[in-house]
Amino acid sequence: MNTFESSIPLIHNSVNIMTPFLLAAMGGLFTELSGMLNIALEGLMLFGAFFSVVFAYYTGSLFFGVLLGITVTMALSLVFGSITLYLKANVFITGLATNLFASGFTVVLAFHLFGNKGVILFQDLPELPKLTIPLLQKLPFIGDLFINHNIFVYLSWLVVIAAYLVIYKTPFGMHVRGTGLNARAIKSLGLNPRKYQLSAILISGFTCGLAGAVLTLNLGAFIPNMTSGRGWIALVVIYLGNRTPLGVLIASFIFGFAESFSNYAQGSINIPADFILAFPYLITVAALILHSMWKHYRVEAR
Amino acid sequence: MGLKKKNSELFVNTIGLLITLGIAFFLVIILIFILSDEPGKTIYYFLIGPFINKYYFGNMLNSAIPLIFTGLGIAVAFRASMFNLGGEGQVYAGGLAATVICLALPSAGALVGIFLAVLSAILVGGVIGGLSGFFKMKWDTDELISSFLFSAALILIINYFITGILNDPNSNLLTTPLISDKYFFLYIFPPSRLDISIIFALLTAILVFFFMFYSKWGYEMRMCGLNREFSRYGGINTAKYIVIPMFLSGGLHGLAGSISILGTYHMCLKGFSGGMGWNGIAVALIARNNPLAVIPAAIFFAYLEAGAKAAMLHSDITFEIAAVVQSTIFYLITAQALYNFVRYRKRVEV
Repeated sequence: MNTFESSIPLIHNSVNIMTPFLLAAMGGLFTELSGMLNIALEGLMLFGAFFSVVFAYYTGSLFFGVLLGITVTMALSLVFGSITLYLKANVFITGLATNLFASGFTVVLAFHLFGNKGVILFQDLPELPKLTIPLLQKLPFIGDLFINHNIFVYLSWLVVIAAYLVIYKTPFGMHVRGTGLNARAIKSLGLNPRKYQLSAILISGFTCGLAGAVLTLNLGAFIPNMTSGRGWIALVVIYLGNRTPLGVLIASFIFGFAESFSNYAQGSINIPADFILAFPYLITVAALILHSMWKHYRVEAR
Repeated sequence: MGLKKKNSELFVNTIGLLITLGIAFFLVIILIFILSDEPGKTIYYFLIGPFINKYYFGNMLNSAIPLIFTGLGIAVAFRASMFNLGGEGQVYAGGLAATVICLALPSAGALVGIFLAVLSAILVGGVIGGLSGFFKMKWDTDELISSFLFSAALILIINYFITGILNDPNSNLLTTPLISDKYFFLYIFPPSRLDISIIFALLTAILVFFFMFYSKWGYEMRMCGLNREFSRYGGINTAKYIVIPMFLSGGLHGLAGSISILGTYHMCLKGFSGGMGWNGIAVALIARNNPLAVIPAAIFFAYLEAGAKAAMLHSDITFEIAAVVQSTIFYLITAQALYNFVRYRKRVEV
């Protein structure tokens, strides 16, 4: 991150930091709308992180790395989804299973492939392409928000637009939302609600795979359990965003900003690193509680 | 009729469990064949390792002790339809609380010190768990997510204390100083680390069993778990049974932490509780939330981990392979279709 080029690094970094949240939350939004709390975001993201960097390393190509990483992540989401829906298992428990599996399996494979259970550095990875428009990126705020980011940031915005269009403007999106509101009504239309739930889970596999790729390819390294709660924060982001794509985008930015600010604070005030790491969890749980309070009193006021 | 039905449910559950375990072990054996250069040896240690000597066997039983407590903690919450995903942090916090009490009271009587350490661990764990219950009761905050987030934040903050102000400068481990040796639990199966607290764990399981099935609180709690609306019409104070199960669940997790400190670690080692919370969930699920069945389920999970550790020590596979078995169990243990299939087959036979 070349912070010298932007006038407000705080905002510029927020956009970078929010990207994995935004992607994971956008996929989670589909499962949420189809009526399932998707705890597996964390594990799916971790899978995407591991496999995209490993495939990028072996193929020497970012494109194939991301493509194969997403494919493997979607395969895991298929396992998660089909066991949940067709074997009728509890979605929380299978979600935990997915997280547990991803966390263990990536370490087992890392140990097998690289003989290492710690940080794995991938040296000569191709660099992420960036959009640079020297004239515009000097603009305060606008330049920081929109210019000089890596390709994933722009991809994530495309995903938001696509999600908006799919959810509100296509029959498929209507049916996904209908499944969450009333699965029986969908059934009475001669449609299969489970099909829409499985599609939603596969979409979350896709976006989480991409979110994971953002983490590792940005860093050029894999660290065991490097998603460190981002999937859970993404879950809360969905609630705070009022379960709409635009809301999720705004909520992600607020979280990105909070984390960017805490990184910045770390530089100027002497706060212990563990507290900085705990900060995202604390702010997330505080936001979750405030959100439920707001909902509670709004219902009561009616 | 009632008894017959109960027996046939037990049969279905047992067969379903065996199928689940069969698939889990099948998958891990395939994985070992792919990953290991000497699969025969790896599989031998993975399956038989925990039984090859007294040391491994005793240590396996010892690592079942915290899982009995955490499994009970999860089962209590599940019975009331509450999810406590904060077990990891609650165990850790209980362990830290017990250590701090022991370090603060170097000259107390052994029993007084142990009593205070265990009590504070239960209270600390209980308050953390109860907090998620409180928010759920008050504003309907999802306890599943909030308990996880509390725990995740807490783990990092506890790490800060262990590596910071409570750190033992004379040790090259990331840990607090050693507690006074008069607080150590008695070893009962040398040379292994199995200590007297296993008896305490068994008694706790029995106590929780009687609490759940033979006390008013336990009854009302289970009713709330079955149908909260119905219980409210029946005159049960349902709000109370959102906080109490979460408090008890957290308290049992805290207890697990303190027992591990007093019995096994004797100091609060950074990350000592890793996995105890998650495994507690699996233990409770295998035991179908029956407090007495938690005991064999915990021993089974301890066996899995011990097997994976033995395979790592004697062969070329890493310990995390246990997670593959564990996650397969998580995937299939609640799969209704599997049990319906068994039910169907049984009906056809009859």
